[in-house]
Amino acid sequence: MSDFRIAQREHESVHVLELRGYLDAHTAPKLEEALQGLLNNERYNIIVNCKDLSYISSAGLGVFMAFIEDVRKHKGDIKLTNMTPKVYNVFDLLGFPLLYDILKDEHEAVRRFKEATPR
Amino acid sequence: MKLRRLFSLGGAFLVILLKFAVDVIAKNVEFDWGRLAILRELVLAGAFALLYFLLLPIFGKTEQSPVRKLGFLLILTTVILLLVVGASSISLGGYDAKLLTLIPLDYSTLFVGSFTSLLIGVFALVLFGVLVTLLRYGRRKGTQRNAIVLIGLILACSISAITLRPLDTSVVTTVIFSLAILMAVVNSFRLPWIIDLAKREKIFGLAYTFFLFLLLTGFTVLISQNVTISRSLLFYSVPLKYFVQSSSIFGAIYAGMAFVSTLFHLPTAEAFERKRTEVTSLHNLSRLVTQVFDFNELVDTVTTMTLDVCEAESCWLEIVGPPPEATRLDGGEEQVGYVVQVAAKKNITQVEIDRLVPSHTRSIRDEVLENQKPMVIDDLRSDARFRHLPKSGRGEGSLVVVPLLSHGTPLGLLYATKDIEYGFVKDDVDVISAFADQATVAIENSRLIKKSIERERLLREMMLAQEMQRKLLPQTVPVGPSVDVAASSTPAFEVGGDYYDFVQLDDDRFGVVVGDVSGKGVSAAFYMAEVKGIFLALAQLFDSPREFLTKANEALAGSIDKHSFVSLIYAILNTRTGRLTVARAGHCPMLLLARDGVRYIRPDGLGLGLTEGRLFGDVLQEHAIQLSDGDLCVLYTDGVTEARSDGEEYGYERLVEVAERKKHLSASMIKDEILKDVRAFVGGEEAHHDDLTLVVVKWHNSPRRDIDE
Repeated sequence: MSDFRIAQREHESVHVLELRGYLDAHTAPKLEEALQGLLNNERYNIIVNCKDLSYISSAGLGVFMAFIEDVRKHKGDIKLTNMTPKVYNVFDLLGFPLLYDILKDEHEAVRRFKEATPR
Repeated sequence: MKLRRLFSLGGAFLVILLKFAVDVIAKNVEFDWGRLAILRELVLAGAFALLYFLLLPIFGKTEQSPVRKLGFLLILTTVILLLVVGASSISLGGYDAKLLTLIPLDYSTLFVGSFTSLLIGVFALVLFGVLVTLLRYGRRKGTQRNAIVLIGLILACSISAITLRPLDTSVVTTVIFSLAILMAVVNSFRLPWIIDLAKREKIFGLAYTFFLFLLLTGFTVLISQNVTISRSLLFYSVPLKYFVQSSSIFGAIYAGMAFVSTLFHLPTAEAFERKRTEVTSLHNLSRLVTQVFDFNELVDTVTTMTLDVCEAESCWLEIVGPPPEATRLDGGEEQVGYVVQVAAKKNITQVEIDRLVPSHTRSIRDEVLENQKPMVIDDLRSDARFRHLPKSGRGEGSLVVVPLLSHGTPLGLLYATKDIEYGFVKDDVDVISAFADQATVAIENSRLIKKSIERERLLREMMLAQEMQRKLLPQTVPVGPSVDVAASSTPAFEVGGDYYDFVQLDDDRFGVVVGDVSGKGVSAAFYMAEVKGIFLALAQLFDSPREFLTKANEALAGSIDKHSFVSLIYAILNTRTGRLTVARAGHCPMLLLARDGVRYIRPDGLGLGLTEGRLFGDVLQEHAIQLSDGDLCVLYTDGVTEARSDGEEYGYERLVEVAERKKHLSASMIKDEILKDVRAFVGGEEAHHDDLTLVVVKWHNSPRRDIDE
């Protein structure tokens, strides 16, 4: 039931969290911890890959809301990619696509990050 | 009782006086007593027996320590010996031996002889009584038999001498006497009380038995070898002489054996005493553990007992806080050590503890907690782990640290120190470990109790929240000639986050709202209460769902937690015209089963509390529908569409199917059918893990004519 895992990796100066399984009220603290860890390390360019995320509850959505303000204050962003239609529908119902970058894949997300910080 | 004693004493005294008078007369009158002598002895024996039972309550108390009894005997023997020797040293005429009988030569001899004999007799009586009492300590079946045999033999020896003349001897008496001595030896091996003695008592016992042995031996020699005393006794009463003799020999043997035995037990006295203290302390402690729930009192007792039993210089107990937090993902942080708190300390200050086991650096504490084994530092001064200690100071000898473990989880540590090096032996470590175990049980108990109290409290809070939530939901549904409304909400757990409500706007229009607060439990119930407040306050003020939701977002965004949000769908229905306007704030779309087709109404809109800015209002759309006869609107929460069975969701299609199938029924029945279908899908009511909320609105142009099954 509460089978949820996070894999982390670096991808061209962007930090990627790969979510797998069920993200609900029980597993949300794991994601919270991971995001907090990135913020503590001053990593604000974050991609959350939802390829293997099979379910997200309102508590799961709440985690992103808790961190987005902080991340954007530091000129970073949390971009969500590779959502299944079912998961996308949950985000979409609440209007998340209006507030978050929800993208097709990581390449696109990386490109967006590069556009945002022209150097 | 007292009177009877007085009479007995008087009687015995009278008999003794009578015998004395008879002796005086017998001195003057030549008279062969013959068989009457037996009578004289019997009367005298009776007097002594009377005295024995009179004196028994004084020296026969078994609750008195054997050592004290021996001390009493020692004093008594000394006094008697001095008196007897003093009396016999008075130069007297002595006795004339004639035909195996003795005749005192003068009155003073008779007086002094009678006095000393009586004194010796009473002394022997007391000696005999005390010895018999001593034999009763820790008796067993065999030993009791031995004691009875000995007493029997001593008495038999005396009785057999009843017919003897003072200078006569008899084989029977000699044999019985020898047997009595033999039994006295056998009985003297019976010294179980010595083991139980404390070390101090043993030393006293040693001195007492030694002197008692010497004095009683001297006394025995005196009454058998000294002519004056021996003859006085024989003249006074032959059986008494044998009784005195056997009793004093028995006493001497017993004292001698007790001395030797105590001597052998002396080296083990300390160890024995310690074991006894350990057992008593552990027993007390375990009783305390089950009876006392006051944690502070318990740890205080544990440290006090450790101090006492091990004779340690100082002792303290630390409680380990929650396990150190896992190092963060960055990994660069310094590893956090165990957080400990001193729960009880004896003979040591916090400063001294910090000096011995500093909390900021790695110390023996971490080592013990990691190894989960007791550790002994025999010499703190030479140990590398204690190099930080100044060279001179208190408490730098040896140290024992024992972890308090509960299923491998460290709960705390118990420390004990001694001023001297190599102060702790294996036994000490064992007993400190035993104390630590008891302390663990106590700590565990107190934590469990605290936890269960906390649980109880939470449960009550939950019940309260549940009760509150139930009251927040409307008890009635709007009614009208052309509208049929049914609603229900079932929380999955104690408290859910679902909400629905109705509001009558004016004569023609009413509003219906369905919502879902993110999260569960008490916080969800609070937000739900807040949403209801906002709904009641604002819905009346705004004619359009869009306006209401915009204002509701403004009201809620300021107060809601940043990772919480509320999804709402709000519809206003004009019951006269059948016009329905609906706006959606992040909520599940409304299912509309209209004459011209089935569809989900999903106007754009963000969830409440997601954003404070203008974006919310900019995005929000409002949708207007004209209902026609028989049209059906279903508002619901995600508990319906996201109901799961083997990873599959109930979904939108199933909802459409069941609603279409039951469209002809009343709103209430359609609602029940949908709920039934959802529950059947997940496989029973218990299997469902989310709140289920459903509001069904059915429209009739003309008075109702749907079929009721």
